[in-house]
Amino acid sequence: MKWQNVKLIFNRELRDQLRDRRTLFTVAIMPMVLYPLMGMAMLQVAQFMREYPTKIWVVGMENLPEHPSLFVDGQVNLEYVSETDQQLIDVQVFHHDAQTESVIRQLREQTDPTEGTGNVNELIQQEMQKRGVDVTVVIPAPITNPALPDRRSKNLDQSDDDSEQSAAVETQPYSNQTVYVFQNSASDKSRLGAERLNGGLMKWKIGMVRENLTANDVPISMVQGVTLTNADVADKSGKQAAAWSKILPFIIMIWSLTGAFYPAIDLCAGEKERGTFETLLSSPAARSEIAIGKLLTVISFSMATSLLNLLSMGFTGMFVVSRLGAGMPGGLPMGAPPLSCIGWLLLALIPISALFSAVALAAAAFARSSKEGQYYLVPLMMISMPLMMIPMLPAAELDLGTSLIPVSGLMLMLRGLIEGQYAQCIKFAGPVCGVTLVCCWLSIRWVVRQFNSETVLFRASERFGVGVWLKFIMQERHELPSLGNAMLCFVVILVAKFFIGFVVQTPDSFAMFTKQTVIILIATMAVPAVMMALVLTRNARKSLRLRSCTLPMASAAILAAIFLNPLFTWFAALVMQIYPPTGDLVMMEQTVSNILTSAPGLWAIILVFAAAPAVIEELAFRGFILSGLQSLRSKWQAILISAVLFGIAHGVIQQTLITTVVGFLLGIIAIQTRSIIPCMLFHLTHNSLAVLLSSAKASVVENSFLLRQLLHSTNGESYQYSIAPGILMSAIGVLLMAWFIRLDATPTMNRENAGLTRLIARMFPPKSQA
Amino acid sequence: MIHVRQLTKTYKEIQSGPFTALDGISFDAMPGQIYGLLGPNGAGKTTALRILSTVLKPTSGTAIVNGFDVNLAPEQVRRQIGFVSTNTAIYDRMTAWEMIYYFGQLYGMELDKLRKRMELLFERFQMNEIRNVLCSKMSTGMKQKVSIVRAMVHNPPVLIFDEATSGLDILVAREVLNTVEQLCDQGKCVIFSSHIMSEVKRLCDRIAVMNRGHILAEGTIEELAQEHQEQDLEELFYQMISKSEQQHEAVLQKA
Repeated sequence: MKWQNVKLIFNRELRDQLRDRRTLFTVAIMPMVLYPLMGMAMLQVAQFMREYPTKIWVVGMENLPEHPSLFVDGQVNLEYVSETDQQLIDVQVFHHDAQTESVIRQLREQTDPTEGTGNVNELIQQEMQKRGVDVTVVIPAPITNPALPDRRSKNLDQSDDDSEQSAAVETQPYSNQTVYVFQNSASDKSRLGAERLNGGLMKWKIGMVRENLTANDVPISMVQGVTLTNADVADKSGKQAAAWSKILPFIIMIWSLTGAFYPAIDLCAGEKERGTFETLLSSPAARSEIAIGKLLTVISFSMATSLLNLLSMGFTGMFVVSRLGAGMPGGLPMGAPPLSCIGWLLLALIPISALFSAVALAAAAFARSSKEGQYYLVPLMMISMPLMMIPMLPAAELDLGTSLIPVSGLMLMLRGLIEGQYAQCIKFAGPVCGVTLVCCWLSIRWVVRQFNSETVLFRASERFGVGVWLKFIMQERHELPSLGNAMLCFVVILVAKFFIGFVVQTPDSFAMFTKQTVIILIATMAVPAVMMALVLTRNARKSLRLRSCTLPMASAAILAAIFLNPLFTWFAALVMQIYPPTGDLVMMEQTVSNILTSAPGLWAIILVFAAAPAVIEELAFRGFILSGLQSLRSKWQAILISAVLFGIAHGVIQQTLITTVVGFLLGIIAIQTRSIIPCMLFHLTHNSLAVLLSSAKASVVENSFLLRQLLHSTNGESYQYSIAPGILMSAIGVLLMAWFIRLDATPTMNRENAGLTRLIARMFPPKSQA
Repeated sequence: MIHVRQLTKTYKEIQSGPFTALDGISFDAMPGQIYGLLGPNGAGKTTALRILSTVLKPTSGTAIVNGFDVNLAPEQVRRQIGFVSTNTAIYDRMTAWEMIYYFGQLYGMELDKLRKRMELLFERFQMNEIRNVLCSKMSTGMKQKVSIVRAMVHNPPVLIFDEATSGLDILVAREVLNTVEQLCDQGKCVIFSSHIMSEVKRLCDRIAVMNRGHILAEGTIEELAQEHQEQDLEELFYQMISKSEQQHEAVLQKA
């Protein structure tokens, strides 16, 4: 790759994009205009909230006590609301009509105010709409100040009540002294009005209670009880960081994707459309140079868009917050984001932009026209949105699991860094950076691959029909699965596992457990792998590596599994120590071990835990998937990827780590022996040993000289390999693996093929063809 | 100079199955010679020239351009050629000068030499007045001029013109043809594809008549005329193509 050419192409594309009005608009103008406009709108809303007058309709005002008075001269008493609110609350009283009478009657009949007001709601809503009011206050029955029984005569208020009312109070043990406030929560104005009024009503109520108590010579402390006080220990900068740490990474991500997309379309699909692509392709610049030059341009725009949006939003936000916060005591929990936060964002922006730019460019390279390119934006967003949303969930935390999710892991780490949890972040910096870099590398490789592919660059539009397409796939299939086929198989396995997870019930017997395990294995792995091998490849047997192997290979596989077992056991113990099994896993293990007690014998357990997975998992992973991955140039790359996929398919982090290592060794055996049988034997032996070791009983071990030398127990229950023999065994195991690696990988004619060739030669001797 | 051997190109089509655009064509073109590819639309001319310019890779067979194999040294091949086709447009948002300067740099020319060469070419093609005009503002003829200068800027030994006069008016077309002639006189190897008889007759030293991915006949115009007893090139062309079409239909009916 000549960097001189890359630089030339980058400079040209950058200048070209800057001369394009559309790009400039989305990258620069839009954010600079959009956020101030949004800020202005927010201020407007806030102003509306502050200044909009509320119309309230009071029904039954005559039922309110004269003292303490809620309303004075047709306005809310200044004791209970601020002067501005008093001005803004417009109290209206209408003459009673049939509807209002009916409302009052119904509410009066209600003996328990907690029952709700469902029966009058509709009527009230109609009336409110008719009269154009925001809030309705109904006082259906007279509100009286209660008095302690022996002091009733002393009560001043009670003295001028007429006899009828006092009779009503006496006959009803629980009088309906309720003030009903009706609001329409579907209307902002109504909600706002009710909010304004409720504060005043609450103060009025307290005032009334206070007066009652004083009138009855009861000290206020009698009803005060204990005071509850909440205190927030977070300091101001901590609160600000928490608020910013959720918003800013999201803004950065979403805009770096959007900012990458439009230039990417213009640089690929747009050039194809304008016919300049072929001009560039016929210049000495190599495809990879063109791809990288364009990629760098897209990255620049992605970063610029993201930064401009961030800046514009930051300034607008600070302005709006200062304006809004001015009226509030203590201000809003937001201010300028801390400086370190900006630094982290800038650092994270580079890989994020690179990743999104590469993905966008690869997608855009596929598009024939800008219009087609636009169609790819939505699926791209749909895929990346959940990844961006996961870290926004309150429960999401950076751990080994989440740190391995692309984008999400980085976002979580960014959040942690902004909040200043450096210790937690450093712990997972390795996996996060690793995953991010691998994703970047893969997506850049994808772009270069797209640019090197004629079918992508010179894609002609064709009529599409499912039938024709299937026929095409059948025609075009190769002897072995392609890389895409392999990945498809893996995705199908994952999706099948996910859905079957919904259907599966917790097993209650060994028979049910066996049935479930085998059905899951067959449905999620055997069926996809075998079906795909039959449909997508010409040679299903070869794709699944179904061929015989020599005796030395088979025995070496079994021996390798036996001798490497101590090493695996120690590795598993190490993994369990680093990532102690969490609740779910412990419970799962508990259930399984409970069920195993009802197993008919050790052979049954081995059949379910060792034999079934050994056969089926090998068919899928070392058979179909590894065959597909072998179209990669390096066999080690194929082995590594198949191992990682094998690990991921196991789902739980502890198992993933362990099975990835096992998968790597199995991959070596599969490729070197070119047969699935040694893999199955290795897998079977490995799993059987795990079952046997976990169920090793003292009586068996102590009676055998060999086992006594090999195993020891610290607690008398479970056995472990002793160090010295374990190391010796592992060494032999490693040697056996070395033997596999040194196996001649060139095709050796196996017996049946040799026989077939001889047969064909005899049937069609060369002479007869001449 | 250019040696094409058994060049084959098949495309995978979902609808119609594999489609053979080129079926093992072979020809040689020499320096100081204009080699014409003559054929109806869809004959495979553009595919052949795209392979020569290494934009496409051949399915099988090969082509050697000035000593470099299109399969083995595509980058070297691209340095040897100037490629003008209906599909090689120019950048809208660049001026004529910027456009050609950019490509000169991509060809790895020294900047001094490049500027001198560009001055010379702009002078010769009377392009100084559109020097700082954005390509989007140019007429079709001007655009084609820029394209041709772009292909000539690195002074390549081989020039490929794929239907370079299509869509041009007579004046500009004639200017293009004159240029092609001059290039030939300078000892360049020129490949010129067209379906316009008069152009081919005027320019080409040797021609190959193509249809459906095959070369039907190859030689100088005189040789072809003698061989087929037909002096009128257009008539000759028509006869060849219709005969080939008839054969093709007969094959289809048998199948």
